[in-house]
Amino acid sequence: MMGALIATFLTATVEWVEAYTIVLAVALSIGWRRALGAAGAALLFLAVLTSIGSFVLPLIHNLTILQFVVGVFLILFGVRWLGKAVARGAGLKKLHDEDAEFAGLQARADIHETRAAWWIAFNGMLLEGLEVWLIVVALGVQTHHTLAAGGAAIAALIVVCAAGALARRPLSKVPENTIKFTVGSGILSFGTFWMLQALGYDWPLGDASLVALFAFYVLGGLGLIRLYTPKALKAEIR
Amino acid sequence: MQGFMKTLFGDKHTLGVAGVSIIAAAVVLHTPASVLAGILLPCLLLCGAAYLAKH
Repeated sequence: MMGALIATFLTATVEWVEAYTIVLAVALSIGWRRALGAAGAALLFLAVLTSIGSFVLPLIHNLTILQFVVGVFLILFGVRWLGKAVARGAGLKKLHDEDAEFAGLQARADIHETRAAWWIAFNGMLLEGLEVWLIVVALGVQTHHTLAAGGAAIAALIVVCAAGALARRPLSKVPENTIKFTVGSGILSFGTFWMLQALGYDWPLGDASLVALFAFYVLGGLGLIRLYTPKALKAEIR
Repeated sequence: MQGFMKTLFGDKHTLGVAGVSIIAAAVVLHTPASVLAGILLPCLLLCGAAYLAKH
């Protein structure tokens, strides 16, 4: 259960940091009251979605089907994050830069129009929060700790808000790619574990297989980063 | 709506990687070498992550 809560907290931290950048850019344009109103509306929508998800998924009384559904979503999410983290770690893609995101948002013409800016904040918060919602519901329902998973996501939100209030600028120092790499490996481990269980596989080490899967994805991911890093960059690092 | 769907399911490459990996694991589970599914699925997904990193 602890692993699921840590994964939820870290996922939420990354997403809330990205959402904070959007809300900050909007707030500096149309004011904090309106920007926070938009973010609050998106959070309310996400809370309703979480309640619906936590209510609907347990209605699937067949554990195999539930594990399969949750496994599919976790695999889709985990493999995407691990792939992205490998690409960024190897220099194939630019690292996510909150300062550049912030500057890009401020350069948008529509951010100075109240209604358009409100929608930018609402949409940004909602889309970033959707991934948090997915993890809270998938890991929470499967481990029977949806409230605790929701609490981990809210704790991450409080931490990011506090850091944002102190910094008053985009939180660009958060090691986003390292977190994405770790969380991607963790989520993919949970997804692999539950998917094969749903298909009828009996894990030889039981729950301890999760640790072995996590180690496999972390080491494999690091190997891929090494393999994909261009030779010139490797020499530069040395 | 498009952003919503992409957030939940990813793009066609992600769907392809997950689909192929799960189907292959399910097929192996119904063969005498079913014990290998526990190795095959993680290996395929890691290969999938490698593919997604390049695409």
